[in-house]
Amino acid sequence: MGIEIIFKIAIVGVISAISNQLLKSAGKDDIATLITLATVVIVLFMLVGMIGELFDKVKSLFSLY
Amino acid sequence: MEVLKLVAIGVVISVIAILLKSVRPELSVMVTIAGSILMLLFIINYFTEIFNTFHQIISKSGIDSNIFWIVIKIIGVGYLVEFGANICADSGNNGIADKIVLGGKIIIFLMAMPIVTSLFNIILELVP
Repeated sequence: MGIEIIFKIAIVGVISAISNQLLKSAGKDDIATLITLATVVIVLFMLVGMIGELFDKVKSLFSLY
Repeated sequence: MEVLKLVAIGVVISVIAILLKSVRPELSVMVTIAGSILMLLFIINYFTEIFNTFHQIISKSGIDSNIFWIVIKIIGVGYLVEFGANICADSGNNGIADKIVLGGKIIIFLMAMPIVTSLFNIILELVP
C-alpha cells in the first residue's frame, strides 16, 4: 500500500481528460460522457478496497466491534 | 525520519489534487480521499506500541482494565470521525462534516457512560 495508488488515479484522470477532448473533436460526445463515468467507477472500486482495508485495521486495533 | 515520509506524501497528494481539479474535479476529491487513507494507514502502526506501553502501565497500576479498553475505543471512534469529517469538509460540504462530528461526539459520550457511573459509585462509597 504505497503511493503508487495516487499516481494510478492521476493517470486515469489525465487519460480520461485527453480521451474526452479527442472524442469531442471527433464529434462523439456520448462516448465521452461514458468514458467519464467509466473512470469514476474504476477509481471508486480502488477507493472502496482501500477504505475497507483501513476500516478492518482500525476495527482490529481499537477493538471497535 | 518517518515524519519526512508523511510530509512528502501530503505534499504530493495536494499537488496531484490541484492538478486534477482543473482537469477532472470529481477525481481530485478521490485523490484526497485516497491520500488521507494512505496517511492514516501509515500512522496506525504507531498506535500498537503506544497501547502496549499503556496496557503495561495500567495493569501494574491496578486500575481495572475495561476502563482502559473504553478509552481505546473512544480513541478509535475519534480517529474514524476525524477521518470522515475531514474528507467531507475537503470536498466542500461542511454540513455533512458537522453531522459526522456530532454523531461521533454522541457515540463517544455514550461509551463514556460506564466510566461516569463507576466514578459515581466510588464517590458514593466514600461518603459515609
